[in-house]
Amino acid sequence: MKPIEIIDIDVSYGAKKILEAITFHADAGEILGIVGPNGSGKTTLLKAMSRVVARDNGEIRLDDQDLDSLGYRELARRVAVVPQDISIGFDYTVRDVVMMGRHPYIGRFASETARDLEICDHAMHLANVAHLAGMSVHEISGGERQRVLIARALAQEPKILLLDEATSNLDVSHQVEILNIIRDLAGEITVVSVFHDLNLAAYYCDRLLLLKDRKVYAAGAPGEVLTRENIREVFGMEMLVKPHPLTGRPYVLPVYMHQPGAGANRRVHVVCGGGTGSDILHLLHGAGFTVTCGVLNVLDTDYGTAMHLGLPCVAEPPFHGITPESLAGLRACLDGADTIIVTAMPIGRGNLDNLRVLLDYPTKPVVFYARDCTSRMEDYTGGEFGAMLANLEARGALRVEGAEELLARLSQDGSDRD
Amino acid sequence: MRRTAPIIILTLICALLISMALAVALGPSGISFGSLFTSDNAWMILWEIRVPRVIAAALVGCGLAVAGTAMQALFRNPMADPYIIGTSSGGALGATLAIVFFAGTGRTVLAFAGAMIATFTVYFIARRGGKIPVETLLLSGVALATLLSALLSFLMYTAGRSLHQIMFWLMGGFWNIAWNDVVVAIPILIGGAGIYLFARDLNILALNEEDATHLGVNVERTKQILLALSAFVTGIAVAVAGSIGFIGLITPHVMRLIVGPDHRFLFPAAALAGAILLVWADALTRTFTSDMPVGILTACFGAPFFIYLLRSRMKA
Repeated sequence: MKPIEIIDIDVSYGAKKILEAITFHADAGEILGIVGPNGSGKTTLLKAMSRVVARDNGEIRLDDQDLDSLGYRELARRVAVVPQDISIGFDYTVRDVVMMGRHPYIGRFASETARDLEICDHAMHLANVAHLAGMSVHEISGGERQRVLIARALAQEPKILLLDEATSNLDVSHQVEILNIIRDLAGEITVVSVFHDLNLAAYYCDRLLLLKDRKVYAAGAPGEVLTRENIREVFGMEMLVKPHPLTGRPYVLPVYMHQPGAGANRRVHVVCGGGTGSDILHLLHGAGFTVTCGVLNVLDTDYGTAMHLGLPCVAEPPFHGITPESLAGLRACLDGADTIIVTAMPIGRGNLDNLRVLLDYPTKPVVFYARDCTSRMEDYTGGEFGAMLANLEARGALRVEGAEELLARLSQDGSDRD
Repeated sequence: MRRTAPIIILTLICALLISMALAVALGPSGISFGSLFTSDNAWMILWEIRVPRVIAAALVGCGLAVAGTAMQALFRNPMADPYIIGTSSGGALGATLAIVFFAGTGRTVLAFAGAMIATFTVYFIARRGGKIPVETLLLSGVALATLLSALLSFLMYTAGRSLHQIMFWLMGGFWNIAWNDVVVAIPILIGGAGIYLFARDLNILALNEEDATHLGVNVERTKQILLALSAFVTGIAVAVAGSIGFIGLITPHVMRLIVGPDHRFLFPAAALAGAILLVWADALTRTFTSDMPVGILTACFGAPFFIYLLRSRMKA
């Protein structure tokens, strides 16, 4: 017996289909997130579940009971909805609004009992609005008002809580505060929530339902649903999907693609490490350059960036020096490159070979790139690198600072060549 | 709930009783307390004319205020009242038909029927897929009121001898009230009590209809019942006293500022204030003018208030 089960429902507004053949269920006590692009039908799906919107066909079952067989009050005792910030036209107090959650329990000829007051107090306590009880809903902030609506929903003592982007209008600290409250409630209550923010959804939800063009595109654990391929297919956008460094949940970041420009048909090789090259790998890739990089250790942040961008990279296993095979790979990259870029990174015995190889390419333009004035090439080789640097600069290697200057330099090289 | 609300309601009850007593004592033919025991005529004026008149004014004021309060919450619009959605135009047309064709008999029944028919015509015109959007409801109300007033004008144009009677009645007043009119007006209290049972639903409906559904309110049925009850109360008020405007608009608005938006307190407060207002309006017009229709006075004070309300809302 599932707390809520949606079986093959269609919904349309007039002639316009909004949802088609939607089937899913929520397990008891879980947080189920509904995600998808604007217009994919997320909110409508939630409205069908609260019976505000009629469906064309299909079935919705609550604890194995047909949704349509429930009276209005019975439904409100089982399912509570936290809407997106609603405007409250009249000047009610916070307690008035929370007490409205008891409406489905109070008969027409009765008034609220001590128990109703107790439940209200408890709900306000859980939603952290007890201190606002006597204030007008017009005097409190948007985040507080949203918590008041949560308290009102809790006063309904529901089995199922539906949230319609309940935190979308709030700043991030209030979003997290409210979602933490919701997560503490899950377990006793089954939560189904529409999310706009994929990262919040990935962190707070046990399972996700991804909608695309009126239909369910994917469903399952956040890690299964929020894959790079699914996001590309549904949102039409390249996203990096990484585990969040602290929570291990999937974390998505947009790959901000530039229009291919200066870099068309140009090849660059980037010698980098320790995260000093990630910004320009992305920038150059986005600008249309054919980018290679290495030699890098596979634990290096720059290696991860290269893999996310799909760039060819010469790599070594963890805690390993540079092997002759890797050096051969590096030479192959350098042979094809129009320009070689060296980022400002610490140089030690482990990566000195990357630079020594450059001495064998006296005719290739070499650019030393520093992200900003704080970036330095610390020498941990006891002076060996310093001599090498002087040598390269004597042959015409340049220093540039900042990505803009680098791009300007590269386009100048390009026109020199043409 | 504001803690002061019950005190304010108690105060209003006292004020109403005092107002009614004073209104009975006031009048163009000065009656001294002593003359009641010596003059049958004085007693007759008091008991047969002033007492029923004051009671009817209180009942009509109460009814208009309650119907106005219900409609403002129902449409989430503090500008709404029974006149705006065509209820009283329907009542006025019904009563005029009675005057023109039946020399005034059945005026009450026809006014009541007219109010109901007008309200539900507007309701069905405004209905879209089982729902009644507020915008279409208000616009259909305005459109129907225009049509009804054209029909009313036509009736007046063809009325001949009864034109004066129609005119006077339309302006609204209590000059002809007898005890049987009070009996007709009593059901206003029943309708008002019925509306009061929905006070909590209206508190919730005042938020937002979708939200009200989430809280277990059967929105469409509640709207139908409240529209019917409001039409019932308004129809009776119009039948008894003609068209008296703005009581239904102003009273709920002022009382909301004083007792707050909780309808469990707002309804009694508005009902009492509406009654007090109309008792005094009637007492003043009959004492200081030669029984000018009281509707002229309420409109004179009500319309500027309406404009003020409109302006302050436009600024907000």
